[in-house]
Amino acid sequence: MPLRSTHWMAVTLALALLATACGAPDASDSTQLRGSVVVSGSSTVEPISVAVTEKFDAGAGHQVSLAVDGPGTGDGFELFCGGQVAINDASSKIKPEQIAACEENGVELIELWIGNDGLTLLTSESNDHISCLTLADVYVLIGPESQGVDNWSDAQDLAVELGSDTTFPDAPLAVTGPGEESGTFVSFVELVIEDFNEDRDVDATTRPDYQSSADDNVIIQGVQGSDTSLGWVGFAFARGAEGVKILEVDGGDGCVRPTDETVADRSYPISRPLYIYVNAAMADENPALDAYVDLYLDDTGISSVREVGYVPLADEDLAATRSRWHERIVGPA
Amino acid sequence: MTLLTTPKDIAETAARDAVERQLTSGKADTAGFAFRLLLLLALAMSVVVLGVLVVDVTTNSWGVVTNRGWDFVTSKLASQPGQAGVVQGLVGTFWIGAFVIAIAFPMGVAAAIYLEEYAQRGRFTNLIDLSIRNLAGVPSVVYGILGLTIFVKLLQPLTGPDANGRTLVSAGLTLAILVLPIVIITSTEALRAVPSGLREAGFGVGATRWEVVRHHVLPYAAPGILTGTILALARALGEAAPLILVGATTGYLSRGDDFLDLTALRERFAAMPTLIANWASQPGAEWESNTSAAILVLLVVVLLANTAAILLRNRFESKRR
Repeated sequence: MPLRSTHWMAVTLALALLATACGAPDASDSTQLRGSVVVSGSSTVEPISVAVTEKFDAGAGHQVSLAVDGPGTGDGFELFCGGQVAINDASSKIKPEQIAACEENGVELIELWIGNDGLTLLTSESNDHISCLTLADVYVLIGPESQGVDNWSDAQDLAVELGSDTTFPDAPLAVTGPGEESGTFVSFVELVIEDFNEDRDVDATTRPDYQSSADDNVIIQGVQGSDTSLGWVGFAFARGAEGVKILEVDGGDGCVRPTDETVADRSYPISRPLYIYVNAAMADENPALDAYVDLYLDDTGISSVREVGYVPLADEDLAATRSRWHERIVGPA
Repeated sequence: MTLLTTPKDIAETAARDAVERQLTSGKADTAGFAFRLLLLLALAMSVVVLGVLVVDVTTNSWGVVTNRGWDFVTSKLASQPGQAGVVQGLVGTFWIGAFVIAIAFPMGVAAAIYLEEYAQRGRFTNLIDLSIRNLAGVPSVVYGILGLTIFVKLLQPLTGPDANGRTLVSAGLTLAILVLPIVIITSTEALRAVPSGLREAGFGVGATRWEVVRHHVLPYAAPGILTGTILALARALGEAAPLILVGATTGYLSRGDDFLDLTALRERFAAMPTLIANWASQPGAEWESNTSAAILVLLVVVLLANTAAILLRNRFESKRR
């Protein structure tokens, strides 16, 4: 009785120890590409990298171990600058302190612009009052000075002061958006709030009192939840969402609706570039990584940007990215 | 015993109640009745919650189950919901279970036997007892941080230098440590429930402590110990928070789809709970039904593991008689 149970426990233990102690090398053709490529970073860019990786993996005849993850741009840079991952996906440009962290560890990076994402402002589809907002409107409704504003009309005075001529309805305002840890939050602050906050002498952040979620579906539910709601998500998520109304944005040259074209040519004011950052030293040493990025940027790979719902680069921008990679131009652009 | 009440049951209950009333000299036992109702209500609530969960998950995943079936179980992680599957999560969860069985169970049971059968009871053992009970209540994410510090970073050369320590070995060890206090506590309770007469009888006929523990105490306590380990294993298979910290991959993984590939233990991995958490945050109805289907798969795995343990326990129980 217990003898038998000790028996199989011992066998399992031995198996586990064996497994940890020795990694048996797999016998295969030595001309095959081998090694590993690990991609981390932005959960926004993750779907693109996953799609590219699938294409790379589908190409037979290699022994490369591939892994893609999406803990967030910031977490990804921590791993990337620590030399733990070869590629970091980023939904916002690398920050000075992240560059410093990379330099401290002697990690040189190649910045590759691979596509665009727009931020989309949303309200409930039953909101007849508003169809276009200026950047100033967005600032007075979601920026740090809007703390405590729970009715659109409460923000009217400040909007007029900032030069907006939008008339806000006398209706409750419920704001939903991504949380601070999200790249979409960071982009929102950079694309909207930072146009105003220094002149207004306030911090570059949003109002603290809004409904936040890391899950875009939850944000969309929040926007559906009240007739005169306001929220923001990435362009890719908004396109498939039902029960919400996409707002036009006026960046000074009239109202622009977020579409593939207006995001690609950046005429839609709140759009952002998407990057991958490649560890330059690893790219030189690791032929698998070299081949992987080659595929990422060629026509097969880069078409993934559109396939997963983002906006492809204009032709000349793509050409610039490819030459940055082929000439191994180190450092942020 | 059956939950369903037949007319015969009602008649029997009525007869019993009548006798009871006579014995208690006609007093109406309202408190007793209310208590019984309360107990039944508590049972009904648990059953309803479980029923709702199972029905909800099954209906949501029905499309995936009927359209993809086995393909869903054998496919790898993918960007398209129609192609994504759970095989890598299953492999990861299988090995995590193996680590828990191979490490936490023998270690936990051994620690419990020492504490109960060998150690002198005193202030020191009481302190250890208390610490173990506290450890069992520590949030799992704290164990995740422990795993990150020790197995992922400190012991990286052992746990998998090529994957920066974010491997199945790290995950398995972290979860083994997570459930260790639970195994110790439940095993201790099972050993305490062994009648002391059993030990004394053994010593009385000249058996050594080893012989008493080996031939009398352990077989008697085995069913209780196994019940504890069932709970511990189920807990380990369902934990997501520590795996997020240890670094389970959720986006894409080229390998990790072979149950018997031991080299994969020191490579990056996926696991069912983190895979479910990740899919649940993906947009679209297709991912939603994928999530439900993955939950269904995990439920089946936990059920299978529990069934195996319960069968084993029953064997011990029948031996005991």
